[in-house]
Amino acid sequence: MKKTLLPFALGLTASLWGGSVLADGVTLHALMEDVPETAIIEKMLPDFEKETGIKVEFEKVGYGDMHDKLVAQLVGGQSYYNLLEVDFLWAGEFPAAGWLEDLKPYAEKTGFDTAAFIPSTMELLGNTDAAMPLVPMYNYSMGLIYRTDLLEDPALQAAYKAQTGKDLAAPTTLADYVAIAKFMKAEGKVNGAAMQGQKGDPNAMEFSNYLFAAGGDYLDADGNVVLASPAGETALGLYKEAITTAAQTGALSATLDDTMRLMCAGDAFSMVTYWWMLPQIDNAESCPDVAGKVALSVMPGGHGESGGWGWGIAKNVPQEEKDAAWQFITWVQSKDVAVARALEGHAPVRADVYTDPAVLAKYPFYKDAMSVVESGKSFPIFTYSAQYEDTLGTQVSLAASGDATIPDALAAAASGLTDLMKK
Amino acid sequence: MSTKVTDTARIGWGFAAPGLTMLAIVMGLPVFYAAAISLSSMTLIRPALSFTGLANFAQIVSEPLFWNSLLITLRYSVATVAGEFLVGLAIALMLRQVVTLRGVYFALLTLPMAMSPVAVALIWRMLLQPNLGIVNQTLAAMGLPMVDWLGDSGLALKTMIFIDIWQQTSFVVLLLSAGLASLPREPYEAASVDGAGPVQQFWYITLPLLRPVAMIAVVIQLINEFRTYDLIYILTKGGPGVSTELLSFFAYKRAFQGLALNEGSAAAFILLLIVLLITVVFFFLLERRKN
Repeated sequence: MKKTLLPFALGLTASLWGGSVLADGVTLHALMEDVPETAIIEKMLPDFEKETGIKVEFEKVGYGDMHDKLVAQLVGGQSYYNLLEVDFLWAGEFPAAGWLEDLKPYAEKTGFDTAAFIPSTMELLGNTDAAMPLVPMYNYSMGLIYRTDLLEDPALQAAYKAQTGKDLAAPTTLADYVAIAKFMKAEGKVNGAAMQGQKGDPNAMEFSNYLFAAGGDYLDADGNVVLASPAGETALGLYKEAITTAAQTGALSATLDDTMRLMCAGDAFSMVTYWWMLPQIDNAESCPDVAGKVALSVMPGGHGESGGWGWGIAKNVPQEEKDAAWQFITWVQSKDVAVARALEGHAPVRADVYTDPAVLAKYPFYKDAMSVVESGKSFPIFTYSAQYEDTLGTQVSLAASGDATIPDALAAAASGLTDLMKK
Repeated sequence: MSTKVTDTARIGWGFAAPGLTMLAIVMGLPVFYAAAISLSSMTLIRPALSFTGLANFAQIVSEPLFWNSLLITLRYSVATVAGEFLVGLAIALMLRQVVTLRGVYFALLTLPMAMSPVAVALIWRMLLQPNLGIVNQTLAAMGLPMVDWLGDSGLALKTMIFIDIWQQTSFVVLLLSAGLASLPREPYEAASVDGAGPVQQFWYITLPLLRPVAMIAVVIQLINEFRTYDLIYILTKGGPGVSTELLSFFAYKRAFQGLALNEGSAAAFILLLIVLLITVVFFFLLERRKN
């Protein structure tokens, strides 16, 4: 009996020893949004693993599932996700709850250069001189994507001139944009605007573009709520007009995916959307009906919604995992890797990537994209931003569906913001 | 005799103990914890359990959006259960007459019930997609106007009710079919001898005898409908406006978007109390009928 037990015990000891040796290698776990940007980075992970020996695993889910999954881990004893992908809308909440490691000491210790990032991408994530909770990952500022072939159509140009006395051209104001979108719906045999009016994140983000384009804002320079202003009323009025007279059937329940499909199928003249949607629409393989016929511009009026994701490190993980996560962040946001990502379609946050000759040679529109990023204004970022998105989305939806008046909806959205900021 | 009864009871409790212990751990502890949170100041930002009494309940019931959600939940639950019961009863009565391929019919009928609500919601979202969905494409091919099934605030809740009835009716059919199969033949034979027609037999024999099973079916479905969350989350997110925002979704938003676990738990507890009340009333009625 002893003879048979001895080899077994030795084997067990050896396997346990071997197991513990293998466990010494740190594995980074990140919950990632299932978007092209994630796929681009995922393809490069073997290079990082080869270079550092650190294994990185991405768990990909839809945006709607991310917040709750992350929060459940961050409030616990030890988070499974040690490397965090954090939306700018949570950039107030996560640091306020004490879930994120301050990355400023890491940057100082390793000499990580944050000056390369476009300032708006740093501010968007709540980074200050005192603390850096997040490192910019990629940008999703919003602009206008529109069909150039329809604007250049002689018959439509003549009809528009006859109706309005104006030339049919890319709009420069919000009112012009809505007027052209309405005209396209009536005369262009397409939907004037592919709109994402589902309440919550979709319509709150879309409306923000209208607000900034009309000259309105959520907060003034002193942090006072100024949403319920004449510019705010103009913005919400034009948003409702666009939904009811220029958008597709079902715009009030539509999301980004719906608008993408419409635009891709050639069934819409325009969409207010994330700038990096352009290469996906201007693609002869995936969208043959509109490839070569679309352009990107800053939101008419000069400002659109700014947005972006950042990298963070969970506080409730062991120090060796934090160090490994920081090593990954500095690698993935370095100039060389960022340029390589941009050549695959990445939406950069570093200014030097937008001006990189190789990137511009492949994607000339990155010049316009940089204007979109630089001119973007931010949704209010505070502890309850995610809840405010829902509050605002509800009021915008009520106004757009005719269930609330414009002034009432705007007043309710403004008081909701005031209440949440006081909370 | 008395010792025997005591021994039997003791053995019974002994057999039940593992199951009861599991229930206490799996169901009792979370409910107790949620109750504690609902009476505390605990939020995701400040996760400390300090007792605040009924303040969270007072906060929740002072909000018009809560009452709106409660009203919508009541309308939704009553409409879906009524629809499921009526359609389910009709199908169960028809199936009672079927002799050939009876098993095939039952298998087909249970398909929607076997699907997860998330899958059902995703399927219907594709079918009802306003521009590319097969329903609107069919309407357009027939020369009819396209309908904004989930984006029209006057129609969205009705659409949700229809989808729910589509999925849940099969459960009611199964329950009522089992009830119908267990009805005694003698009253029908006697009624036929007395000259009662099919309608009279249904009204005066089938319905009264089926009442206990029917009440069980109604209670189970009411509990299910009050807790509906998946369909709303996938299809409308409570919109347009707040036209489909059920109480379960209100509680979820308060807890995870508003970061107020305490208020979210309070809203969930109110939902639990309503469901408990309904269950107690139904069982009281059932017992009284039996006695």
